[in-house]
Amino acid sequence: MPKAIRIYVRYVEAANKAIGVVSMYLIFGMMGVLLYESLFRTILNEPHIWVVETAQFIMAAYYLVGGGYSMMLDSHVRMDLLYSKWSPKGQALADSLTSLLLGFYLVLLIIGGFAGTKYALVYGQVNYTPWAPRLAPIKIIMTFGMVMMLLQVIAQFFRDLARARGKTIP
Amino acid sequence: MSYELIAISIFFSMMAMLLTGQRIFGAIGGVATVFALLLWGEGAADMPFHASFILLNWYPLLTLPLFIYMGYMFSESGIADDLYRMFHVWMGPLRGGLALGTIGVMTAVAAMNGLSVAGMAIGCTLALPEMLKRKYDKIMISGVIQAGSSLGIMIPPSVVLVLYGMIARQNVGRLWMAGVFPGLLMSGMFALYIIVRCWLQPHLGPALPAEERRMPWGQKFRLLSAGILPLLIIFSMTGLFLGGVTSLVECSAVGATVTTLAAVFKRRLTGKVLVDTLRNTLSVSCMFMWVILAALAFSAVFDGLGAVHAIEILFLEKWHLSPWGIMIMMQVSYLFMGTFLDDTAMLVIVAPLYVPLVIKLGFNPIWYGVLYTITCQIAYMTPPFGYNLFLMRAMAPPEITLADIYRSIIPFVFVMIIALAVVMVFPQIALWLPNWYFGK
Repeated sequence: MPKAIRIYVRYVEAANKAIGVVSMYLIFGMMGVLLYESLFRTILNEPHIWVVETAQFIMAAYYLVGGGYSMMLDSHVRMDLLYSKWSPKGQALADSLTSLLLGFYLVLLIIGGFAGTKYALVYGQVNYTPWAPRLAPIKIIMTFGMVMMLLQVIAQFFRDLARARGKTIP
Repeated sequence: MSYELIAISIFFSMMAMLLTGQRIFGAIGGVATVFALLLWGEGAADMPFHASFILLNWYPLLTLPLFIYMGYMFSESGIADDLYRMFHVWMGPLRGGLALGTIGVMTAVAAMNGLSVAGMAIGCTLALPEMLKRKYDKIMISGVIQAGSSLGIMIPPSVVLVLYGMIARQNVGRLWMAGVFPGLLMSGMFALYIIVRCWLQPHLGPALPAEERRMPWGQKFRLLSAGILPLLIIFSMTGLFLGGVTSLVECSAVGATVTTLAAVFKRRLTGKVLVDTLRNTLSVSCMFMWVILAALAFSAVFDGLGAVHAIEILFLEKWHLSPWGIMIMMQVSYLFMGTFLDDTAMLVIVAPLYVPLVIKLGFNPIWYGVLYTITCQIAYMTPPFGYNLFLMRAMAPPEITLADIYRSIIPFVFVMIIALAVVMVFPQIALWLPNWYFGK
């Protein structure tokens, strides 16, 4: 594999790992917000209007921004009825072909993400709730997660391509 | 091309893509976007992203990572060890006693978390080595662990019922309550099967030798206190929710916190346990969320083609099926698809097609949710697709082969099909508790 590709794979994976390790801890954010609300509402009888959406925003960031790292951990299940019977080379070949479809899906996700973010920025879109938070920030974070996922899928594609040709990327 | 033909070709493209072994979410999402663009052109370009906003607004979905976290915290920190020892000592003297104890632990674990991964992990790390050491039949072992862990999605809290509740627009509290008795019924049926089988063939599950059983009664009773902590966790979660103190999502946060505190209290929360739990939680949550995200895009395409209406016409006007005929057709088609599709994806794709029809035919949607969950349990057990198979393969020692794992589930799947039939014929098993509680 050319040097440029090896550098690309190394940097993308390092970035996704760093981002993923941080986003792992977002679950405490969700727990914290919800716990805070249940304590305040049940004991002090003082509900807050921002809780539900804050927790939802953290959740969206959690799985989208953590997506790239989950690709690295190989957490996404496959239907391996036939796949498990192929040689490692055959698996790599199949993956490098079919990940084009996966890439296509992600590209469309990102196109939608950019369009949505642009709309939110230009019109100052807010959520239809009493709290009415601006939607642009979360849309930017979500789109960022999708872009990182695509970059990771491309890195994985290079890895599979190398493996299909009997080589590995360190 | 007629809409039916398009729908069928989409379905078969998805199956073909799944067979290539690409990640499920990639296969489903890719097929959905390609067909959306072909059918509706550029206007469909926003559709995949739109699905992410539907997900964001599905508030109950927040319980998913929290329940996953709880399950991992529970199994990684070894809180379950004492619970298992309790069942081990009390059930040991019986034939097949450890297998019965395993079902007991699994039932308790199922009441503390909403998925089957935790039960599976506890079963493979705790129950499996003990039973192997005691010369239990390996097919019996593998079957017991898989069947037991499948209870996780039925006995409340249940993530599958939360998802079903979102799709069918039903009250999650009622659904959870409806899951209690069918879950216990299945647990009881598994136990009965083990008792009968080990009574007929003692070599499958030998009783513990006398010297191992010798333990002072005081100590035996002290072990019973191991059951208190789980009860606390169950109450802090399901209890608070069903008592109306906290909302559904809050109760999962309370449960996750209590489990973490329990691990601290037991001095089991090391840095490694914490990081492993967090990494596994992210990994499994991402897997679920991305599958649901892609499946939503897919079902949007199906919806756009009017597939609900098409299925209704097919069943009612072309095949002239009676309501019960349709009900049985639906369950059979679920079982068939369950062997190909991931059950989360199946829920998001197929349930929106079937649930309106179920309600229109006059069936109770709560009861149907329970039937759906049992079908899901069976689909989860049956090869080639099921997390249990991945986990079992990864965790079991090499002497348990893949063929053993496949073979071991057969008797338990039969038991589950009987349970499904029983709940179908006697809806009151599911509906009595929610009706009584909500005073209908």
